[in-house]
Amino acid sequence: MLLKAQGITKRYGNSTVLEDAGFSVHEGEVLGLIGPNGAGKTTLFECLAGLLPADGGSVEFRGETLAAGHRKHALFYLPDGIRPWADQPVQWVLAFFETLYGRPHGESNALATDLKLERLLKSRIGSLSKGEAKRVLLALGLLTPQPLLLLDEPFDGLDFRQTRDVMALLRTVPARGRTLFVSIHQLVDAGRMCDRLVLLSRGRVVGVGTLPELRSLAGLADVDGTGLEEVFLALT
Amino acid sequence: MPSRRFRWLVAKEFRELMASRAFWLLLLMIGPLVGHGFITAVDTYAEASGIAGGPAALAQGLSPLDGIFVPAFGAYDLAVTLLFPFVAIRLVAAEKASGAWKLLLQSPASSATMLLAKGLTLLAGWVFAWIPGLCALVLWKLYGGTLHTPEMLNLLLGHLLRFVLAAGLAVAAGAIANGAASAAIATLGFTVGTWALEFIAAGRGGVLAKLASYTPTAALRVFEQGQFRPGTVLVTSAIGITGFVAAGIWLHEGRTVRIRCLASVALLLIFTLFVVSASRLRTAWDLSENRRNSFSAADEAALARVRHPLRVTVFLSPEDPRLMDLDRNILAKLERILPEMEIVHAAHFRSGLFETPGDHYGEVWYEMAGRKSMTRSTTEQIVLDNLYQLAQVSPPSRTESEYPGHPLPARPRGAAWLYYAAWPLATCLAGWVHLRVWS
Repeated sequence: MLLKAQGITKRYGNSTVLEDAGFSVHEGEVLGLIGPNGAGKTTLFECLAGLLPADGGSVEFRGETLAAGHRKHALFYLPDGIRPWADQPVQWVLAFFETLYGRPHGESNALATDLKLERLLKSRIGSLSKGEAKRVLLALGLLTPQPLLLLDEPFDGLDFRQTRDVMALLRTVPARGRTLFVSIHQLVDAGRMCDRLVLLSRGRVVGVGTLPELRSLAGLADVDGTGLEEVFLALT
Repeated sequence: MPSRRFRWLVAKEFRELMASRAFWLLLLMIGPLVGHGFITAVDTYAEASGIAGGPAALAQGLSPLDGIFVPAFGAYDLAVTLLFPFVAIRLVAAEKASGAWKLLLQSPASSATMLLAKGLTLLAGWVFAWIPGLCALVLWKLYGGTLHTPEMLNLLLGHLLRFVLAAGLAVAAGAIANGAASAAIATLGFTVGTWALEFIAAGRGGVLAKLASYTPTAALRVFEQGQFRPGTVLVTSAIGITGFVAAGIWLHEGRTVRIRCLASVALLLIFTLFVVSASRLRTAWDLSENRRNSFSAADEAALARVRHPLRVTVFLSPEDPRLMDLDRNILAKLERILPEMEIVHAAHFRSGLFETPGDHYGEVWYEMAGRKSMTRSTTEQIVLDNLYQLAQVSPPSRTESEYPGHPLPARPRGAAWLYYAAWPLATCLAGWVHLRVWS
């Protein structure tokens, strides 16, 4: 087991955003985090990454407790909706990340090719469309070397073709020795992309497992052709 | 040799600085501001030196430090107070707002390294902004003016420390506040607060006056007067460095507010202890060419023979201009020479206007080795003769001031073109090329 989260709790005043959230991440899998808007997906990721102080809970990495201050050695969290260094050209930001993480020279160029960013390399990040900026962010995330990569809504802003291409690229990540934990609000995408799923509703984990396991949990194992949407509705 | 990673971090900060419109505006405005101060100062200096054929001032009264460079470089005090904080705040707040800081927090670089990169970049930017100031030095030499290297380097050090202080405060505000606007308000609020403190302290004295002597303006004044005080250097540096450390504490968003508050309180305690210790340092050197902060060499030699502690009891209110004269002309100079000295401010009222004659108002008592004497004078020679009597030291034979003065009846040729035309044009062109073409 790569990572085990137990009892993650986060409150803002009287409002509980995460309550006793617990699940495991297996080495080399693509784990999906699904839940409606406001379920606490981003908060959970930020608590896991140590970027937001949790009010309770613990995280173990390969069997050892991992304090919030040391999470950056084990995992990297790529937030959704950010637009870093808007005044800098794409090429420079990719090269900066490549150097910052001591990655082999040329890796950022290869990623730029994989994510079809060649045409945008000289453009300022601030001038990119939402989908283009998302692909640049994904390149930054893929340049990092941590064993676990947390991606918040990696397909948000991408069109159908781009989603398909990025999904194919992300599916190759585990083969390169990294584990993916992705939050996705499009259940169809989640079903196609993920090996296992964590269902989050109102800050609580209501189910963890593969689609057949979740079907069983929802009592829909015997219903033919039941998709993730039905399972999700049954469990939340 | 800094690591490759650190060099890229500095490069990233520098690119962000150059992409900041606030920085280009600062550069644009600093030229005419320095130019106006320099041109006015050179013209006035030339007139005082007799260029118009009228009566010239005494040569000994003409010092390039006072006459030219303190007013010309005053533009930098203005810029570092009102313009530079926006540049420094942007360097922190923009990364917080854009989400870039979340990415950086997860990188192998520590917060301290990243803040060091920001500090070095701000310093580089500030040095760049000093080009008009350095041009003033070159122009002055071209006009035939003289420069006294120690006092000039001391003045530049004062401005450097003023930068360190402003950068620390702005970076801390950028880190603690929710947005750039709140940080700017907090920084300007601090500045206005220090002005208010100086104003209030001028009328009250005591602890407030001691505190006010370390406000940014007051600290810079020490260097403008040609003094080098390690105490001021340490306190000013400490304020700036504390600002950067506070920024490091508050930019660590993964820690709870409670932990960050506790860390800040601990930092404040360490800072206070350091400042209290540093402010006790009485050592000071007079680096001014005209030795305005010192007695004559003969008097200093005579005073060096005084071994007894001196106690001075002053019956003057803090608002009384005579107290300022006494402080500047006598007490500050004595503190630098005598091994032990205690000053007691004994006026009963805040304003001396309503003291009755029986309250000894206006008297200054000097007490040494059980002997006492009183004088109302704030004139250097009278007070010193009084002290020699108390210390039973024979007064030295005094000579005229050795400072010849540096009159220069020269007009500021070419300065207006440089500061009002060439610099703004060059800045606009460079800014346009950078912001429109390269970025």
